[in-house]
Amino acid sequence: MSAMAGAPLAELRTGHVPDDQLLVRARGVTKRFGGLVAVNSVDFDIPRGAIVSLIGPNGAGKTTFFNMITGYYVPTRGDISFDGHPIVSMKGEKARSKKPHEVTALGIGRTFQNIRLFSTMSALDNVLVGQHVHLRSHWWDAVLRTPLLLAEEERATERAHALLEFLGLGARAHTWARNLPYGDQRRLEIARALATSPKLLLLDEPTAGMNASETREMTDLIRRLRAELGLTVLLIEHDMRVVMGISDRVTVLDYGEVLAEGSPAEVRANPRVIEAYLGRGAAEEG
Amino acid sequence: MDEQLLQTIVIGLSNGLIYALVALGYTLVYGIIELINFAHGDVFMLGSMLALTLLITFGVTTGTDPLTAIALIVLVLAITMAVTATLNVTIERVAYRPLRHAPRLAPLISAIGMSFVLQNVGLLWKGPANIGFPDVIPNTNILTTVLGLDTSVAITYKHLFAAVVTIPLLIVLTWFVAKTKQGKAMRATAQDPDTAGLMGIDVNRTIAITFVIAGALAGAAGLVQVLYNNTTVWNLGFRFGLNAFTSAVLGGIGNLQGAVLGGIVLGLINAFSDRYLSTQWTNAIVFGVLIGILVFRPTGLLGQQLADRA
Amino acid sequence: MSSLITPVEHGRTGGLPAWLAHLASSAANWPTAYRARLQERPRRTVLLSALVVLVFAYPLLNRAVLQPFSRNVFPLPAPDDTTVVFMLIFATMAIGLNIVIGFAGLLDLGYVAFYALGAYSAAYLASPHWSGVSILLFSDLPAGFPGIHLPFFIIFWAAALVAALFGALLGAPTLRLRGDYLAIVTLGFGEIVPVFFKNLVNVHFSFGPIQLVNANLTGGPLGINPIDAPELFGIKFGVIHGFNAVYLALAVVAMSIVIARNLERSRMGRAWMAIREDETAAEMMGVNTVRTKLLAFGLGASFAGFAGAMQASYQGATTSDFFMFATSILVVIMIILGGIGNIWGVILGAITVQYVDKTLLGWVGNRLKDTGVAIGSPQLGEINPSQFSFLLLGLALVLMMRFRPEGLLPSRQRAAELHAAPPDQALGSAAVMEIEEEVIEEAEPEDVDATTDPPPEPGAASGPPDTPGRPGGVT
Repeated sequence: MSAMAGAPLAELRTGHVPDDQLLVRARGVTKRFGGLVAVNSVDFDIPRGAIVSLIGPNGAGKTTFFNMITGYYVPTRGDISFDGHPIVSMKGEKARSKKPHEVTALGIGRTFQNIRLFSTMSALDNVLVGQHVHLRSHWWDAVLRTPLLLAEEERATERAHALLEFLGLGARAHTWARNLPYGDQRRLEIARALATSPKLLLLDEPTAGMNASETREMTDLIRRLRAELGLTVLLIEHDMRVVMGISDRVTVLDYGEVLAEGSPAEVRANPRVIEAYLGRGAAEEG
Repeated sequence: MDEQLLQTIVIGLSNGLIYALVALGYTLVYGIIELINFAHGDVFMLGSMLALTLLITFGVTTGTDPLTAIALIVLVLAITMAVTATLNVTIERVAYRPLRHAPRLAPLISAIGMSFVLQNVGLLWKGPANIGFPDVIPNTNILTTVLGLDTSVAITYKHLFAAVVTIPLLIVLTWFVAKTKQGKAMRATAQDPDTAGLMGIDVNRTIAITFVIAGALAGAAGLVQVLYNNTTVWNLGFRFGLNAFTSAVLGGIGNLQGAVLGGIVLGLINAFSDRYLSTQWTNAIVFGVLIGILVFRPTGLLGQQLADRA
Repeated sequence: MSSLITPVEHGRTGGLPAWLAHLASSAANWPTAYRARLQERPRRTVLLSALVVLVFAYPLLNRAVLQPFSRNVFPLPAPDDTTVVFMLIFATMAIGLNIVIGFAGLLDLGYVAFYALGAYSAAYLASPHWSGVSILLFSDLPAGFPGIHLPFFIIFWAAALVAALFGALLGAPTLRLRGDYLAIVTLGFGEIVPVFFKNLVNVHFSFGPIQLVNANLTGGPLGINPIDAPELFGIKFGVIHGFNAVYLALAVVAMSIVIARNLERSRMGRAWMAIREDETAAEMMGVNTVRTKLLAFGLGASFAGFAGAMQASYQGATTSDFFMFATSILVVIMIILGGIGNIWGVILGAITVQYVDKTLLGWVGNRLKDTGVAIGSPQLGEINPSQFSFLLLGLALVLMMRFRPEGLLPSRQRAAELHAAPPDQALGSAAVMEIEEEVIEEAEPEDVDATTDPPPEPGAASGPPDTPGRPGGVT
């Protein structure tokens, strides 16, 4: 599955990867809010096993795009499919989208730019909520305390502990989310996202507010997520070290459109990208 | 046009004006602190009880000479408005301001509590039964006696009175909010209290003034209620409050013109339901309207359209 | 390691026999489990055990000890049987509404509608109301006796089912509304349903084979009576047999506690808490918020169904006067005063409020009268404290919100939520969270990307979707 990493670059770019090797395939995705076009006819592929970054200045439409993949926004136009299943498709002139919880069930997990943990629930409970979509017990199982419920709860709790261990939070399983230090909260969000049994993990600025060593830890973690858990990762990031360090491919958005796409090195040297971030003068300086 | 229909419309419009006055109170307060002031209808009720008490104390009754009556009514209006304004702003100070930064649930519950308190005050003051008040303003039909029309539709001095009190107040309020400095402060605070504060607006004072105005309007409505509908009762606030709040929501909560429009529409709905259906169902119908608006068009008739969410 | 990602498996569990076997073994295991509990947390176990014993012995205690005691020794009045039964009926409702408001965070102000539905359902199924038919089941009434007369055990569950269905039905329109609007809509339904019960006296309706002419569907303001008293295994539990009725009511409350606790500590309970905390995040984590909220409404309402069935059967009569808007608020008050989110807290709240309202106030009035006579100012006796009940409850609400919004015995979580740490004290992330609270009126690209939140939902005048109980910050 991680065959993609290290493969020749051309094969990772949007439109160049065969469909059966794509986890996400988005075509012509547009989002209008009233008169404002936030995302303008974006094509975007995420190959299986790749770590792909989405960067761009503030207001470029990155989080809007994230929100459309996860079903939270319905695009104005476009087609998005995930692992062969359609998430967004056109029905006449209108786009129809699956609901967020359906998208999660299909296998997309995410973290948030501003941490959105369930603050007065323990770390363990947060992770257990993540498992909600794949657990099978119903309310009557709960009321009657059926063997199904008891067995399932036990297994789910075991798995939750294991996930917390994996992220170094094993000792804090019963601490309330809001009492955890910032770095732990970030990791807990990832644990919770992993609990949803994703194939694709969307990380929205996972290193925000971190210092250099914390950032390095996070970067290592993201690599481990792919290497050990076989996940595909889509990253929104502002920290260029992270982007350059782990991305197989970088896509740059500006004003809702794809400005450039390529390997980290290519994108960094691209004058239009420099211009978008730093202004025309910086680009001309080379 | 069917005369019964016309009469129903007349009744609807007049009551609608009273609803509009109370609705303005709801919409002003909601606009500025996003609180549904459950107690507002009960302030109106207490205002009506006060007006009734004052009128009786001053000896205003059916036979009173018109000039004296008018003078005394104006006096009662002034006193009532002052008292309800004070009551309202005190309630704000005591029950809402301390909860300004609490979760939204808290002031709402506090408002419900305040409503209970006020209703009980009314109950203790005037007892459980409806209290009547004689027709001080003549119930004579202007259309037949003054204009000489041959019709069974009645527009009486009472209807005129309702309009004469409410319409100027509505105009003054609209002017106040649109044109004066204080009005601008209110609108700014409604938009964004934090920024308004940073711009030098005394947010606490602005909110207090809003409550003063809302209270005064409720008091005026209370007086009109006594002189037009000739009755008051301790749980009047609940029924009126429901109608007034629905008016505010129908027109677009936070929107002054909407509150007036909503009040008139609600007045008509009430009148038509009372006449053509049965008074027993009117409350249910009004609630039905409220639910319908909130579910299908929560921004109301004159409110802004919001962007679509997934 | 990839097993970390795979969901837990759903093994074969053996169905009904396995469940029964499990129950049997738990029951057999009970003494051992109890002894273990006693060792782990001795004080709490002993206290709770004593409480349970006291509660079950209460009716006996009441007759044998408390009533004579209160008359002659200790001045606080002991409540009579009917009051106790109603304390327990309201406790059942409080437990149910606690699921809606306390667990799921949905401010339902119209709970009385379900109480009414439960009571009338029971009334329909256990009274001579439908005089055109005669359906008797396990009844000792003579054959051909008019009306439907099903045994209590059936109507009890039927009432809960009806209430649950309507709970989901009336909750459905509120799903996309935020806190205060949700409250108002539920309030509306809470008003409308009793109006229907009061007025459906003269119904003309024809649809195909169904013809109703001048049908008195609900008995109007006079209600339905007589209603069969509850009877189980030959023992009657009606108002005439108040002593028995207290035990029946206790059993209902005990069952409600078990159900509510089991729900709380389950996948569904966690889903409710997640929705209450942050509905958007819950949705993104795979919680089907529509289904979960509807379940909260429905399951919560079913307890009111239990309560309604109890009321109708115990008192042998029901009328729409029992189901006023104030009753909805009363149950809300019980939850808020007692302790939001905490099952024991809301029971405490229910019992206390009922006690004060029905017993204490009247007793205070009597004491005032006696005192007045004693000190020579009989006017003191004119003060009737029962007339002050609204005022006291309202005042209690205002003061509680000001000083202790989580109630007397809250769940730790709700208490924590209501006293959220101010931003600069909480660790790092809180400051980041505050940004999300900014009002998003129109979607500007900067705003949209600055936070994870999309523009507001319909029903929101401004800001992200909000549910009651959330602190000023976001998570």
